[in-house]
Amino acid sequence: MKYDPPFHHTNGFWPIILVLAGLIALPWMQTDTYVRHVLILALVYAVVASNWDLSLGYGGIVNFAHLAFFAIGLYTYGISAKILGVDPWLAIILGAAVALIFAALLSIPILRLEGVYIILVTVAATQLLARIIVSQSDFTGGTSGMVLLPRLTIGDFKLSSNGRIGYYYCALALLVASTAFLYGIERSAIGRAIKALHDNKYYAISRGVSEARIRLYTLCLSAIFPALAGGFYGSYVRVASPDVFGLGFLTIILSILLVGGIATIWGSLIAAFAVTIFTEALADFGAWRDIAVAVVIIAVVVVYPGGLHAVLQECWGAFDRIKCGAIARFRRHWQAERRAMLCGAPDRLVETSFGRISVFDHGAGAQAIVMLHGNSSCKEAFYRQYAVFCQRYRVVSFDYPGHGVSPNGNPETAYALDAFARILGELVVKLDLGRPIVFGWSLGGYVALEYAARGYPLSGLAICGTSPIGKFPDDMPRAYIPTPSMELTAKRFHSPYEKNQYALHTAGTDPAIDPMIRAAVWRTDGQAREQFFNRLKTIDWPRQMRVLCESEVPFAMLNGRKDPFVNNDYCKTLPYANIWRGAPYDFAEGDHAPFLSCPEAFNTAFGEFVDGVTAHGGRFA
Amino acid sequence: MSADTFFFVGASGLILGGLYALMATGLAVVWTTLGVFNFAHGAFLALGAYVAWQVSDGSGGPATFLLAACVSAAVLFCLGYVSHFALVKPFERKKNMVLLSVITTLAAAAIIENAILLIWGPRDKQVPAAVEGSFELFGSALRYQDILALVTALAALVVLATFLRRTATGRSMRAVAQNREAAELMGLRTSHLFALTIGISTAMAALAGVFIGSLRFMNPSFGADPLMKSLIVVILGGVARFTSPIAAAFVVGLAEAFSTFFLGLYWSPAVLFGMMIAVLVVKPEGLFSRRTKTL
Repeated sequence: MKYDPPFHHTNGFWPIILVLAGLIALPWMQTDTYVRHVLILALVYAVVASNWDLSLGYGGIVNFAHLAFFAIGLYTYGISAKILGVDPWLAIILGAAVALIFAALLSIPILRLEGVYIILVTVAATQLLARIIVSQSDFTGGTSGMVLLPRLTIGDFKLSSNGRIGYYYCALALLVASTAFLYGIERSAIGRAIKALHDNKYYAISRGVSEARIRLYTLCLSAIFPALAGGFYGSYVRVASPDVFGLGFLTIILSILLVGGIATIWGSLIAAFAVTIFTEALADFGAWRDIAVAVVIIAVVVVYPGGLHAVLQECWGAFDRIKCGAIARFRRHWQAERRAMLCGAPDRLVETSFGRISVFDHGAGAQAIVMLHGNSSCKEAFYRQYAVFCQRYRVVSFDYPGHGVSPNGNPETAYALDAFARILGELVVKLDLGRPIVFGWSLGGYVALEYAARGYPLSGLAICGTSPIGKFPDDMPRAYIPTPSMELTAKRFHSPYEKNQYALHTAGTDPAIDPMIRAAVWRTDGQAREQFFNRLKTIDWPRQMRVLCESEVPFAMLNGRKDPFVNNDYCKTLPYANIWRGAPYDFAEGDHAPFLSCPEAFNTAFGEFVDGVTAHGGRFA
Repeated sequence: MSADTFFFVGASGLILGGLYALMATGLAVVWTTLGVFNFAHGAFLALGAYVAWQVSDGSGGPATFLLAACVSAAVLFCLGYVSHFALVKPFERKKNMVLLSVITTLAAAAIIENAILLIWGPRDKQVPAAVEGSFELFGSALRYQDILALVTALAALVVLATFLRRTATGRSMRAVAQNREAAELMGLRTSHLFALTIGISTAMAALAGVFIGSLRFMNPSFGADPLMKSLIVVILGGVARFTSPIAAAFVVGLAEAFSTFFLGLYWSPAVLFGMMIAVLVVKPEGLFSRRTKTL
């Protein structure tokens, strides 16, 4: 199951709407014909370059005949509209049809080929096409090309009148259609097959993806819009010349693709404007301009292969980190009283080797209970337990780095399961907690297991919403129920919609739950999610399993029967050595967070476990 | 078709074949050693021709021509050596290195072409020939320069083959091509050898460029056509053995000469590309190759 949010639920939705509104409004601010000319060129180039990404970027099919599709559109328009007298609009559509046929023919020789051979064949096919077009000078005008091609009109309105306004909107419409088309393709079954073949060809083939058929589709689908753009370009500049086969045009389109970043649609759209404006600004320098474009290409490939798209991602990442850091600082200072009221005592910052950590430490009694919260949550999640357990025990909880009101941690070191476990180890010494009972929820459950596996002092272990894993990643599909929302666990940038979804899936839907807990998702550093998930493979999972199945540590598993993620049947199959009540305990009404959704039942059960550990020595088996 | 014309067309085909062999072998050596298809090869050829034109400074004769050819080959050797570090080395360990190197060499081609345009201008030029005049053989006139081109091309190929087989450097280059990791473990300086390979290949392109520039007129983008021809040669022949692109070069040269004679100048490229695509579909490893990749 693949998580695939619809477009209006993603982070890109509002930026795209804003940019589109800007592009629609732009000609009213820029009435100069030359400026509009540059913009039209940029729109056309954006169509050509972004469609090239389908074969070159997503598909990894190094198709250097892409500009031939453009040329076919251009010459089909020229020949059919000028010589055959076809209606110009129809001639543009005709160009796409001819390009489709050419793409299908082209795919025949390259179905069996790999790597550099595909480059050679496509280059050769383009050259062949160029020679044929130049040789048929009766129709195509030979090396000097065709001039005075028909203009586009709607009724009596010439698209070129009123400062080319018609052409501008026509080009914009073409770009929007092309982008919607590419976006649709990328998310469709064909798009996934294209990407799968690129990522791991043999695995994709073994799963029933036909390589030959997908290559054919890739080439044909990437041919349609460049051909339309070619026809449109012909109607706009009214010239069809063999220059479109030349190195100059190729380097411009290639530089748009590379500067924007390969395998992203949006990157080439941004780069189309940047590169076109750059080349037009240097238009007076002749050969120097082409040299500059070529140098930019080499520089991008050698120095920064991700292109503009990677730059934007990095900026967005830096902004996101600063933003969630600021939220944490704000909440630490201005919501301290609210947190103290909710939990019964104020929290404080404690210095550890992974940075400062916000710690809640309250209650009477010699025995300490440590409660560890889950991914993208906060220590206030246990507020319905503090009131009960603080009366008899010392209850300690803390926010992981990058979570709750703890400051952001160093992404290289502080965002990992074992780092969280070591923070707890340090706190146990620093706060003099003796041998605590550790309760962990979800991600916190793994932190608790890792704490135990590392041999830190411990008198009891309870987990909730956590499936013990013996072998990673092989056990994951059995341990968890595959749902689309699982992907949000490791996703760095959540859109507001996704933050909401994640909060509801983890903390439950009960409206009486304090909003502060769900708000923790907004504060969590996205890198914490991404990094801790990436580092799961470095954890010693069998060691955690040995704690459960071989050691005598008193253990309780308190899951919700309605948990959307954890596979309770899997949890019941493991041979626990010393488990409370002899088996994992389910709350009939509990979801992923039973301590929030059915607090009374949870507090009773957990209280019994704690009593069992403290009063009866913790022998359950 | 009379015997005279047949001989004349055949001879011009052989001369073309010799020049294509010189270029295509350069391409093939780089390809088998680095796994890179050098799209700047044609631009290097053009640059070599222009350097020779500059050195010969309008005067012909064997001595000047020899000097021009030597200077041109030396300059292009150095340029090729350096270009390895700019165009190929930065990403030689990357998965999509083939694509990246195609992109950088294409960009390099654009840079060289435009630099030629800036330095020498767009007007047609010709490198003065070493020997003027022609002689009659079986009723057709052959220029001395044509014969010189064919003989030099063959001689250069023999020298290169001997170099690769008999000298320590040549053998290390082949070792790097055959198994890079093992060669590195034996202490060979791979990046030096790779750069040397590109240098030799560009020097050969320069030599071919000098002759093509003396037989035809040259302009800044005239390298594109020989590049395409040697591309066809490399695909047709494959690169399994040193001789396979050479054999294919003569096939292509003869095919071009005869198809130009029978079908006209415009259709001969179509014939060649058709041949190439047919070979790729039927026997992708090349006409004169088995399925291996060695030098």
